[in-house]
Amino acid sequence: MTTWEGLLYGIGFAMQPGVLIYCILGVVLGTFVGVLPGIGAMAAISLLLPVTYYITAEAALIMLAGVYYGAQYGGAVASILMRLPGTPQSAVTALDGYPMVREGRAGVALFAAMASSFAGSVIGIMVLVMLAEWLSRAATAFGAADYAAMMILGLVAASTIGTDQFAKGFAMVTLGLLLGCVGTDVNSGVQRFTFGQTEFLDGINLVALAMGLFGVAEVIANVRDPDRQGVVERIGLRRLLPGRDDLRRMGWPTLRGGALGSFFGALPGTGSTLSSFLSYAMERRVARDPSRFGKGAVEGVAGPESANNAAAITAFVPTLTLGIPGDPIMALMLGALVIHGIQPGPLMLEARPEMFWGLVASFGIGNLLLLILNLPLIGIWVAMLRIPFRWLYPAILVFVCLGVYSVRGLTFDIIAVAGIGLVGYLLALAAFSPALLLLGFVLGPLIETNLRRALLISRGDPMVFLERPIAAGFVVATAALLLLSLWQAWRRRTA
Amino acid sequence: MTIILTRRAALSCAVALAAFPALAQDAWPTEPVHVFVGFPAGSSPDTLARIITEPLAQRLGQPVVVENKPGAGGVIGVQQMLASAGNGHTFGTTINGPLTTAQRLMDDTGYDVGADIAPVTLIATSPLVLAVSADSDIGDLQGFVDAAGAEPEALTYGSVGQGSGAHLTAELFADEAGVSMLHIPFTSYAEVTTSIMGGEIDAGFMAPSAAMPHVEAGNMQMLGITSAEPFPQAPDVPVMAGQAGLPDDFRAELWNAFIAPADTDPAVIERLNTELNEILADPEVQEKLLAIGWKAAPGTPADLEERIATDTEMWGAVIDRVQDSQ
Repeated sequence: MTTWEGLLYGIGFAMQPGVLIYCILGVVLGTFVGVLPGIGAMAAISLLLPVTYYITAEAALIMLAGVYYGAQYGGAVASILMRLPGTPQSAVTALDGYPMVREGRAGVALFAAMASSFAGSVIGIMVLVMLAEWLSRAATAFGAADYAAMMILGLVAASTIGTDQFAKGFAMVTLGLLLGCVGTDVNSGVQRFTFGQTEFLDGINLVALAMGLFGVAEVIANVRDPDRQGVVERIGLRRLLPGRDDLRRMGWPTLRGGALGSFFGALPGTGSTLSSFLSYAMERRVARDPSRFGKGAVEGVAGPESANNAAAITAFVPTLTLGIPGDPIMALMLGALVIHGIQPGPLMLEARPEMFWGLVASFGIGNLLLLILNLPLIGIWVAMLRIPFRWLYPAILVFVCLGVYSVRGLTFDIIAVAGIGLVGYLLALAAFSPALLLLGFVLGPLIETNLRRALLISRGDPMVFLERPIAAGFVVATAALLLLSLWQAWRRRTA
Repeated sequence: MTIILTRRAALSCAVALAAFPALAQDAWPTEPVHVFVGFPAGSSPDTLARIITEPLAQRLGQPVVVENKPGAGGVIGVQQMLASAGNGHTFGTTINGPLTTAQRLMDDTGYDVGADIAPVTLIATSPLVLAVSADSDIGDLQGFVDAAGAEPEALTYGSVGQGSGAHLTAELFADEAGVSMLHIPFTSYAEVTTSIMGGEIDAGFMAPSAAMPHVEAGNMQMLGITSAEPFPQAPDVPVMAGQAGLPDDFRAELWNAFIAPADTDPAVIERLNTELNEILADPEVQEKLLAIGWKAAPGTPADLEERIATDTEMWGAVIDRVQDSQ
């Protein structure tokens, strides 16, 4: 089947009423679970899994996928409006999205998020259709050394975002790396910093960390200082829509973010997080005035949102072409196929072309639906800001607890999120950036595991990082970036 | 559909009759039954639990709620089952690790298998296959052992983690075959598969269901299987026992069991054992289990107790050797 035949066939398949209804159901549900702080796609898909027994495998996959990418749209809403990111990706969106809200530009921030999410998804779909085979080969070509080198580049490139002070940023990344050490070490099996608690064996719960550092910390800050909210008393319709200047600023970041996300998303692992941070770092680097970032730069919303939505689409590449899930949510979706007696694997595409093309077409339809659904909702979300915060925060805390509990059903994590929230508040008082802590926390264990795995496989020879072409490319890029930063710093000092 | 309903009705009548003497003791179950699973929704142990709890709910006449408490290789599921025990309606399904090796590998699991857990029945077993890339020069088990024996740690293999069934099975295999291999721990079969296909590692001990799709696509080949008989899902893969210098009784299987807290009423355990044995005798259930890589293997509570004891000893010896060599 050629690409065009496949696409046409897929559109026909996905438009059937019996399939379309599940696509709509999926994206609507995805949007709402995404908006609820802390309750993400993982929890929603786990709950929906038993429902999929009663529908066809294709409809099930289309619905679950809709929840997955729909949650990316919804997640942006909570992190922009209330600084309540449930994932590291949406924590990046909060960096500039939330300051925009404080400036009374909530509508513009949400519009930017929705429009760039849609554009990023479209880029992701185009890449998926045209380059799926190439990307799936790239996914198997990446070895431990390549992953380690790539993530080190990501860490170096993104380690200055969200703060003007190098030392503070460095401290947060380091703290994140240290927190990432908690749990069972993959390479040796040694249990590190678990204090005899089984709950720590798999590390600190990422959702608890994100919700604590951002959400709970923000609630504490608002309760202590009731005047913090109240910037957004009256918003005219004019303020809901972006001006010409905003639109102009959004264009290139959206395209660049979409391209970054499309590539990194296809690599099993942490593509989505990495591409959000990298997109933000890139926009700040190419901006004429980097000091605007962190204070409400629309580019800082558009780029990362485009990146994580593109990544959410291309994350299906290894899942569909190889049957290799890139993250736990993808594994869950493949689990749904297994229940239907379909063995995910490289032959799935040939055996069930309607599944692949139907899903691809549903991505397009679903994202269009999300845009149509979300644009009118912007007004409602913004109106919610007029509700006094003292009425909102009990509900926020309830949802945070629900979300954290939903990950693995342990009350331990609820206590943890409270403690982390307190720490997050203290960090915020001292103007430390929690986003960098999350970056270090997510990338640290992956860098360590892959670095040590690469050295284990090469039997201790560090040259493996220069002998493998992919790894060498990332090492050279990292070195170039470091030199560039040093040179810029030197020039600023002498100028 | 009608036929199925009738059959189910007939079955439940039979069950009701069989369970008649048990009615004296308060007609258990009086409320929904909770089954704790130490793995996330959609995982293989979770799917297995759902396959057997669906007919179980019909037979018991009460809902059976699967509680996913993932973490620490299944140990958290067992802990949480014990923590909510006491009302006679709390049970668990678990893979072998938390009952056989966890006590050796973890600082403190928080429970004592012998004292805290009452075995109900073994549910199913799964062998592992030795898989290598289709591009590999190695074509059979003898060839693999020869290549691995060329020098210490000549070959690398991937597993799903330190102390995992895949890791310990590989070490048992190496010891019996008189070779040593370099262990590269990963966290999932997906990663092991990618690494084998990318040529980064030489081999992997994998669940047949994880390896099969890539074998069918011509990316991987399976050199041998660790069960005593060929596995129905992969009948062409030769049994390892007796080959390439391995002893005739070489056998290493992962399993999944139904367990209860130690203070559960023995009559309830007996009832559950009977129900589960009948469920697992149903060809439809057996087929569903096979599709996800598990072969039904019901038995008595005593059978499970014995299996726990022999496997704890067998894997304990392997762990001793691995820890000595580190």
